[in-house]
Amino acid sequence: MIRRLLPPLAPALVALLIFVALPMFWVLRTSFNELADGAYVVEAMTLDNYARFLGDPWYLVNTLWFSIRIALVATAISVICGYPVALYIVKTTGLQRNILMALVMAPLLIGLVTLVYGWIVIFRGGGLLNSLMIALHVYDRPVRYMWDIKGVVILLVYIGAPYVVLSLLDSLERISPYLVEAARNVGASRWTAFWKVVFPMTMPGLYAGLVIVFSLNFSAFAVPLMIGDSNTQMIGLIIYREALLNNDLPFASALSVIMVAVNALILVGMAAFFGRIILNRLEAKR
Amino acid sequence: MTRRAGDGRKNQDEMQPMSDDAIQVRRVMKSYGTMLAVDDVSFNVAEGEFVSLLGPSGCGKTTTLRMIAGFTDTSGGAIRVHGREVTHLPPEKRDLGFVFQNYALWPHMTVAENVAFGLKLRRKPRDVIRNKIEEALSVTGLSGYEDRLPRQLSGGQQQRVALARALALEPQVLLMDEPLSNLDRALRVVMRRELKELQARMKMTTLYVTHDQEEALSMSNRVVIMNGGRVEQIAAPYELYENPATRFVADFVGITNFLEGTASDMGGGMVGVRLPSGQVLHAQARVPVAQGGAVRALIRPERVTISPAELSGPNVLAGRVELSEYFGAVLRYTVRLDSGEILRAEVHNFDEFIAGGSRVWICTLPEHLRVIPHDPRG
Repeated sequence: MIRRLLPPLAPALVALLIFVALPMFWVLRTSFNELADGAYVVEAMTLDNYARFLGDPWYLVNTLWFSIRIALVATAISVICGYPVALYIVKTTGLQRNILMALVMAPLLIGLVTLVYGWIVIFRGGGLLNSLMIALHVYDRPVRYMWDIKGVVILLVYIGAPYVVLSLLDSLERISPYLVEAARNVGASRWTAFWKVVFPMTMPGLYAGLVIVFSLNFSAFAVPLMIGDSNTQMIGLIIYREALLNNDLPFASALSVIMVAVNALILVGMAAFFGRIILNRLEAKR
Repeated sequence: MTRRAGDGRKNQDEMQPMSDDAIQVRRVMKSYGTMLAVDDVSFNVAEGEFVSLLGPSGCGKTTTLRMIAGFTDTSGGAIRVHGREVTHLPPEKRDLGFVFQNYALWPHMTVAENVAFGLKLRRKPRDVIRNKIEEALSVTGLSGYEDRLPRQLSGGQQQRVALARALALEPQVLLMDEPLSNLDRALRVVMRRELKELQARMKMTTLYVTHDQEEALSMSNRVVIMNGGRVEQIAAPYELYENPATRFVADFVGITNFLEGTASDMGGGMVGVRLPSGQVLHAQARVPVAQGGAVRALIRPERVTISPAELSGPNVLAGRVELSEYFGAVLRYTVRLDSGEILRAEVHNFDEFIAGGSRVWICTLPEHLRVIPHDPRG
């Protein structure tokens, strides 16, 4: 198996080694270094950087735990918003489908910064939405839509939902309509047929979507940077600040290692959960 | 295809009092835009009967079955199951078993879970469910496969699970959509016999869709032949073969030779077919034909005598053998008649082999010759 797969995979493996494994190793090594005089990185073998993070409740609660929570919430909302869209799109064909797919993909194609500034134009205090609502007398003072947790979650969902839709579509398209008809035939209502037949069969797609979206959300830094406030100190943002503003590469590296480790742990937990329920039954036939 | 309005026979059908038939299909239609997929189809299936819908692909047979099951809406007409109108009920309210062509087993459920699904929805007690699973699997020869997943089974086994799943619910009626067509030929013949034997033993009212005439003829009590969305003929297999009502039926069920001519009444229950050559063939009259009207004479290839010596009599046709093919148990001749038409003949108990190019005389008995009115549709 390995001997057969190795030749075609070799270029990808080399690229992975150079662009993923080596930088990761460098980050891991740097996390044990010291910062001297607040400016110079000194080679060392110390766990001080980890101790600094783990010993400070602010980092643990307001950064790490906050990031996990906000990522979970945004991921859950992405799934809730994305699932019905995927269910609708899978039933369409031709031009209608192409238009819907283009709309779903649009946020992925625009680029994060353009996207965020577009949102700012629409949602800021004197932005389009507030002007419109005030002009229509829906309310008479600007409502705050961003620069807080709410804004961060909304934007993470906006970015994450397309991935959920795409990965669910892949699963949904494999489900023969006859399977639903067979369920209806033995007495299942529309809802029961969805819940007992369609939903379990979309678990692989749902899982794939969750992995992508959770990882994106958990490590987000541009979104909290651009439209968050002092209460949305997500771990990605802290890493960015320590590495590029404070020049504290060793501490930033330690934070990165912790972030990757926690992310991996959560994904493994999800895999175990999904694997036990359904995944191993469906996956093997692929 | 235009709708025939004011057909007296059909109105009469509609006036019929509600019978105790298991399935009644009354003037059912299905249109997709301007296309009529099913055009005014009516038939009944009696309690315990095995009826097949037979026809080429696109003839509307599967659409008809799907409308009975409730998977496809009707554009007109009514469907009753045991006298209960189900035309507009959702599929889950119809209590009909259905076996799909591609089995449609739920891949994430084991064999036992597939069979139990409908029983669980009916909130049956656990021990009842267990017994029914056991029974359905033993009837279909699947005991011991309870915990397998569908993908771990062969095509034939999957087909049995699909059948077990339908039977476990003891439905009023079993609908089957080409259930054997995805199996290889040898297995298909075995499953066909098993299925028929099971159906007869359980006295299960069955409506069976197939494009395979052998399947339809060998399994059914009656066959509904469909073509272009319409019913061509409803009859027992024997009747269908011996007395086809239309050219389509004669052609679709078995091989038939057609000779065109005009009808002349000969009295005494006999009808004459005057061929373009002037020769008159004698046939027993089974369907009324108009004197002087255009008709077709139907000759089954196995119902002729072929001889290298000149024969005499009314129904003798002379010709030359173009091709003679030996198949062991059967000899097949392709004969070019002197009038120019091609006639196929089959001989089963032969003791001589007539070589290609030989002059031959072919004779058929009046009781083996059928006459149908010339149908402008083809």
